[in-house]
Amino acid sequence: MKKTKLHILLCAACMTLGLSACMDDHDEPDTDGYLITSPIALGDTNYSIARLKADNASLFSQTNAFQQVEEDLILEGVVVANDEGGNLYQTLLVRDIDEQAGTDEAIVLAVKNTCLYPYFMLGQRIKVNLRGLYIGCYSKLPKIGQPYYTSSGNLRLGPILLQLCRTNVELIGEPDRDCPEMQPVELTASQLADWEADFSKHVPQLVTIEGSLDEADSTAIFAPEELQDAGYGVDRTLTLAGSREKVTLRTSTQNDVAFTVMPTGVCRFTGLLSYYDQWQIQLRSTADIHIPESGEPAAPATH
Amino acid sequence: MNKGARLLTAAWCMAAGAMAQQADTLRVADDNADFTFTESQLDEDNDAAQTVSAIVASKTDPYLAEVGYLFSPMRFRVRGYDNMYNQVYMNGLMLNDLETGRFSYGLIGGMNDATRNQEGVSGFEFNNFGMTGVGGGTSINTRASQFAQGNKITLSGCNRNYLMRGMFTHATGLMENGWAFAGTVGYRWANEGVIDGTFYNSFSYFLSAEKRFNDAHSLSLVTFGSPTERGQQAASTEEAYWLANSHYYNPNWGFQNGEKRNARVVKSFEPTAILTWDWDIDRQKKLTTAAGFKYSNYGTTALGWNGDAYDPRPDYYKNMPSSIFDVYNPDINNPGYLEDNPFLLEQWRDMYDYWTSSEANRQINWDRMYFVNRQNEANGGETLYYQERRHNDQMVFALNSVFNHTLSPRQRYTVGLQLNTTKGMHYKTMEDLLGGTRYTDIDKFAANDYGKGSIEAQNDLNNPNRQIAEGDKFGYDYNTYVNKARLWGQYQYTAPRFAVLLGANAEGTTIERDGLMRNGRAPENSYGRSGKARFLGGGGKFTLAYTPVANHRLTLSGSANAQAPLARNSFVAPRMQNNFVDNLKLEKIYAAELSYTFRFGNFSGKLSGYYTQFEDGVEQTAFYNDQMERFTYLTMNNVRRRHYGLEAAFIYQVNGNLSFNLIGTISEAQYGNNPYAQINYEGMNASTTRELNTWKNPVTGDAMPLRVIADGMRVSGTPLTAVSLGANYNINGWFFEAHLNYYDRVYVGFSQYRRLSNITGNYVQSSIDEAGRPVFDVTEAQLHATGGILFDQQGRQLAAYSADQEKFDGGFMLDLSIGRYIRLPKGRTMSINLSVNNVTNNRNMRTGGYEQNRDDFYNTGVARAFRFSRNSKYYYANAINAFLNVNFRF
Repeated sequence: MKKTKLHILLCAACMTLGLSACMDDHDEPDTDGYLITSPIALGDTNYSIARLKADNASLFSQTNAFQQVEEDLILEGVVVANDEGGNLYQTLLVRDIDEQAGTDEAIVLAVKNTCLYPYFMLGQRIKVNLRGLYIGCYSKLPKIGQPYYTSSGNLRLGPILLQLCRTNVELIGEPDRDCPEMQPVELTASQLADWEADFSKHVPQLVTIEGSLDEADSTAIFAPEELQDAGYGVDRTLTLAGSREKVTLRTSTQNDVAFTVMPTGVCRFTGLLSYYDQWQIQLRSTADIHIPESGEPAAPATH
Repeated sequence: MNKGARLLTAAWCMAAGAMAQQADTLRVADDNADFTFTESQLDEDNDAAQTVSAIVASKTDPYLAEVGYLFSPMRFRVRGYDNMYNQVYMNGLMLNDLETGRFSYGLIGGMNDATRNQEGVSGFEFNNFGMTGVGGGTSINTRASQFAQGNKITLSGCNRNYLMRGMFTHATGLMENGWAFAGTVGYRWANEGVIDGTFYNSFSYFLSAEKRFNDAHSLSLVTFGSPTERGQQAASTEEAYWLANSHYYNPNWGFQNGEKRNARVVKSFEPTAILTWDWDIDRQKKLTTAAGFKYSNYGTTALGWNGDAYDPRPDYYKNMPSSIFDVYNPDINNPGYLEDNPFLLEQWRDMYDYWTSSEANRQINWDRMYFVNRQNEANGGETLYYQERRHNDQMVFALNSVFNHTLSPRQRYTVGLQLNTTKGMHYKTMEDLLGGTRYTDIDKFAANDYGKGSIEAQNDLNNPNRQIAEGDKFGYDYNTYVNKARLWGQYQYTAPRFAVLLGANAEGTTIERDGLMRNGRAPENSYGRSGKARFLGGGGKFTLAYTPVANHRLTLSGSANAQAPLARNSFVAPRMQNNFVDNLKLEKIYAAELSYTFRFGNFSGKLSGYYTQFEDGVEQTAFYNDQMERFTYLTMNNVRRRHYGLEAAFIYQVNGNLSFNLIGTISEAQYGNNPYAQINYEGMNASTTRELNTWKNPVTGDAMPLRVIADGMRVSGTPLTAVSLGANYNINGWFFEAHLNYYDRVYVGFSQYRRLSNITGNYVQSSIDEAGRPVFDVTEAQLHATGGILFDQQGRQLAAYSADQEKFDGGFMLDLSIGRYIRLPKGRTMSINLSVNNVTNNRNMRTGGYEQNRDDFYNTGVARAFRFSRNSKYYYANAINAFLNVNFRF
């Protein structure tokens, strides 16, 4: 009798063990087609970055000005710079080349989120419906965004809420890194001088600049934390090859570019060109630094 | 049997059908004590094994006998003591964990029928099982011969952490051949507990064998364990609760493939064996010797993220509508300002709509993490999001021996020896790469600060840039070794009117860390042994009792004790390096108690007043520091706390069937100084850490010891005022209980980080007023709101203010219980009990919470839009909940 009861106990133990199989077990999700952007078409493109800048030339020539768009203005372009390298923050550079119209202009779409690049890969064409969003300049940088108060208490045009990508942004096709927009503009000193007269039309832009860094000494890195300013960045001086023209090369701290030793001599640097008090370039990643082999002409950076 | 089976089946159907209700026989507490409040609330971030409140359940003390269970829905802790001051023994062996000091109730979870034979004592009472702290002790007797012979089935249904429980117990009783066997198996289950996204899956077993060789000797062996897997709940802010329209919103889960998945899953299994030799030397002398072994596996998962990946927590402050503008500032949150700045309200509403439009939007987005990982890897990168498992395993050998000697009817004494050696194994493993395949073992914070290629970025310089797959150890890996030996004794003399109890103990403790990784931020002091820290402590206690007339007794007790700091608090950054906290000392505990026990006819009760002071304590918190975006250790040393108050229990026995009781306490548990502080960030090397620990005099520039301005702060997570009015009625096998409980003075857990002397404002006297008093550029109200330290113009510290600590609103809860005891033919019995807690469904009772470790200002001095000081995270007591319990003995 007692043996029987012990058997019951053992059976009960086995049953409960069987019942208690792992519950924290989950199938992996299929993420093909996963989107944070609009799952439905926004509509036909009825606008362009070039028209946006032309129609709002006075706005874009100001400093720290913005206004809200109240119409369905749908423009498109290709993401040619993002935060993949950690040097750009909440920033997508969207560029549109229209050969027929002869325009090649870009604008920053700022989005309030870190790590945007998995959603907006380089070479990805996107549509943006500007309705409800704000256009204007952060300092002198043309931008699509939403206003916010900075940590210094200033009112500025900042990033849009990520969830607005669901209603205002659409991905078009697959990323194409070989599309024309991914080819940076080869910027020369003379072009810089030409662009300065109408910088809002020409910035932001994906450019390649050939030049040398004044502070490079074979040991100094791009952005040591001890040199960072209030914007968590470090400015270096890039003197354009064959000229006295200088461009600020700005690098955020705490990313791979920041810890890279600055190359000496003439190199080619690709990045996002903007204009604040003077011309400024921000590299997208370390792949934007091309150091020519001795005797080799500098080649354009590729991603 | 048939009648019993029918009743059992009917009752079980009720339980299962309701999926909700509660209880047991006459002693409800014994049946559901292991989950009267949310276990998942208890170890959110500190990796401590689950514990419940310090429940002493002394049978001789009408106050202690009731409060533990009665007030458990509010996580009441007797006298506000930490559970480390309360010891739990089983068959003569102390089961408290040497690293945390606490007994883990998870150890005996689901074994209520096997562990109900308990004896509780207060810290000043005589006992014959072991040394107890100021919080008292509990002895559980699970020797097989002590189980009632027969079988017992227990089935329960409830709406708490789990929904159903089943237990089966069989005991042979002491057989003629001197053997006795007993065993329990149980299972607790919830596919989803009462809190969304939680689940419970726990098997338990308990086996006991005893051989009584003769009248003098018996040997008992028990082994038990409770492999458990459960999803946890996390606290959140009031704003998140408001947006989710529930105080039971749980940010720990999210949908994956359309199914709920919890990010914080505990898996624990602590198999334990205890061998006890009882030697009744003669009628007056008894020697009990117990040896035990435990190998515990305890691991809890958490999300990790790398690179610049966005914080995946759904209630991360940047996801909250109130991160758009300061909703608590009337200068901003007013129609005029918002009309001038319409974008603020636009964005606030966008975020509000996002939170409220879909449940998925306010939970973890697992699919997104998988997508990001796959995209990043396709792009040549590594896994950005992952789920890690933090392990706190332990191997324990312990030996306790207690000699009890009754010298005469008036005199008895007990002496004992306790030995314990514990190896704690702490490491983390990669639980799930969330769709990714590549991960390099470097520290993301150090990589940001020093570069990916730096030495500092390496978590293990002995295996640099190691590729991690699922199941691999990474991040940290170290062992701690704690050895403790204690000699103790107590003597009691009892005369008709007087009684005296004297006790003393001496203990030696060693603590050591053995690093198994050479950490890049501490390459010289992370790998290998730290060397031993040695502590020699001890103390004594006394109790004097005076009984002037029968049924009236006055008792005065006192104790002084010095005990080693806990291993878990002894290292400045245990995951990273071997360094001990500076100036580690013994903690001193001074306690006194005066009590009056009485009986006037049918009216009886006890009144007590107590005062306990803790000196030179060490407390460590480890947390993700949102301000610095780093995992942070903050250790307070030289901590002083005072716990004092009044306790009362009154019972009026109207007749044999009906009684009323009034039980309550009003108490205080406060920090009494501004302890030294030591802070350490994971991801920073020694020189950077030194700078962090610097506090400079704002006038002279001299370095001063870093402190936490904690004076006046209250112990959190327990009501300091609790009162219960109860009625008990029984008739013809029916039992009815009703308790109306009032709770107040529960305080939020204060952020030590925000009160660091180099974080809180330092103000220098600007002038002198007409009355000659110093004037400062800060108001008294600001000092109370944000804290601050005042200096005169010579740099002398004049005063230090700690930011006010939030007190939660008090409130009532009504608990009811009904039970029926049924005798069946052939000696079989059945009992059914239904208890309902919080009958009035008060959903607004906060049981605890904590302030966020971040301040309200940018480095520029400009106020942030999001007010961290107004966004503490809270836990709420369960809404109306019930427990139906059915026992059938046969």
